[in-house]
Amino acid sequence: MSFFTATNISAGYDGKPIVERLSFFVDDGCLFGILGANGSGKTTLLKAVCGILPHAGSCVLEGEMLEKMSPRKLSRCCSYIPQRSGISIDISVLDVVLMGFNPWLGLLEHPSAAMKEEGHRALGLVGLEGKEENNYLTLSEGQKQLCILARTLCGKAKLLLLDEPESALDFRFRFRMLEILQIWLSDSGKAALVTLHDPYLALNYCDRLLLLSEGKILGTICPKTDSLDQMEKLLDQIYGKISLSRLTDRSGREHIVMLKE
Amino acid sequence: MFTVKTKTLCVMGIILLAALAAVSLFVGKYPLSIKELLSGNELQRRVFWTLRASRTYVGAIGGFALGTAGFVYQTVFRNPLAAPDVIGVSSGASAGAAAGILFLSEAGAVTVSSFAGALLAVVVVLGLSALDRSGKSNTIVLAGIAVHALAQTILMCLKLTADPERQLASIEYWIMGSLNGINSYSIGGNILLCLLCLGILFPLHRQIILLSGEEGESRMLGVNVGSLRLFVLLTATLAVSSVVSLTGLISFIGLLAPHGARLLTKDNRQGTMLLSGLLGGSLLIGADILARSVAASELPVSIFTSLLGAPFLILLIYRSAKKL
Repeated sequence: MSFFTATNISAGYDGKPIVERLSFFVDDGCLFGILGANGSGKTTLLKAVCGILPHAGSCVLEGEMLEKMSPRKLSRCCSYIPQRSGISIDISVLDVVLMGFNPWLGLLEHPSAAMKEEGHRALGLVGLEGKEENNYLTLSEGQKQLCILARTLCGKAKLLLLDEPESALDFRFRFRMLEILQIWLSDSGKAALVTLHDPYLALNYCDRLLLLSEGKILGTICPKTDSLDQMEKLLDQIYGKISLSRLTDRSGREHIVMLKE
Repeated sequence: MFTVKTKTLCVMGIILLAALAAVSLFVGKYPLSIKELLSGNELQRRVFWTLRASRTYVGAIGGFALGTAGFVYQTVFRNPLAAPDVIGVSSGASAGAAAGILFLSEAGAVTVSSFAGALLAVVVVLGLSALDRSGKSNTIVLAGIAVHALAQTILMCLKLTADPERQLASIEYWIMGSLNGINSYSIGGNILLCLLCLGILFPLHRQIILLSGEEGESRMLGVNVGSLRLFVLLTATLAVSSVVSLTGLISFIGLLAPHGARLLTKDNRQGTMLLSGLLGGSLLIGADILARSVAASELPVSIFTSLLGAPFLILLIYRSAKKL
């Protein structure tokens, strides 16, 4: 049995389905990418999985149905990073990160000194050390995403759901974000579902990719093992005619690059 | 969760509130002196304890509650303009008070009827918003606007039927708010309820901040958004209703005090919430001192809360604009 299984997920807004009867599974330790054009249902799928959107079908994490969990338990198992956080009041960066501990705190409890220490460490990991006392609202969009990532890492969830976490990041931090996720996944008992816009990142960092088109699954690919031809055929259906090739950088590492024809 | 700066500001706020309260004890129609009080003048003591002292602590606690509630509303609704009016409390209280003035004659009846009016408005608003299963905070605001309009209509109808000489005048006077007429016999339960609500709100500060995020995001942080928001709003509203039913409508404090506090501290920590309350209390007592000393007869306190508050807000905006 796989770590996480989604079966026949259908969800949408105002009775109009956006995604219909999607089924897939994710293995332990997998960085699972979701690729698709704008409007293909990536965000809807993530919101359905974490229960923010009402949906049909079921999600099972380590044998337990997410739909049947209490909100508190769900928030301990599963963490969601929206494209943009809705924080709109003046609040320090560290306080935002400490929100991540809320699933583990009682209603009237405050984060402990150890939690604060951990919050500092998480901020260091995402490259925001020294900004603890800055006002969150004055950060750039990219820094905000990194701050929210730090908050998520503090939550100790087993399943991360990230909605375009790289969208506002500069060239350097796009890789850093995915590297952080890979490090996080290296402990067992964890998986991450990530929607991505950049096919380069998807093909080079994700273990498996789910391709969505108009709310349906086109197919899945494993960039590490599938042949370029196989992958091209599927990616053509999303991006139009493209070609893939393998390039080696100076350090000898192989990359897959996608070119539009 | 207090920074040094916030601590200093809060201490200054406490000193300001205490100083104004001391002045308030000795301002009014009947002159009091410390010497006479200490020498045991019976009349002086009676005036001091039944009138001045109760008036002063209703002013302090009431202003504190309005300021704190304003902070809570603005944070939970994620809207800098949110105030008790948004969810129909004030207009519910006005309509209730008007009904009390028209139909009831017992002493203290207006307090009870305006409290009932405020509570009814809030229960209807929160009940209506519970019908929307998605539980967006916008729904509460919309329901609030509807109830506000409805209560205003009822108020207008009541005014039409009122005797213009006496009843209409007291309705208008009530709506303008005043600490006049408060004495140690009329305040008991209201102030206790108000203090209880404040005692609940402050420890929940961390949760109130968590409610300021987006719906789904807060839920995935383990916040039970629907019921927590309901509870927090109900508590804040009870605090406001318990004050407003004693004093009549007091404008501007709920809006101004939290903004003032935030412009001073530049954050939303617990200290800022406390400072909102302290500024609210100082503002109300300050306004009340003016209301009973500038003219021969007592003036409505809302005139002075706006008169004192508006320049203060402009000063703070000017100050923070200059820093940029």
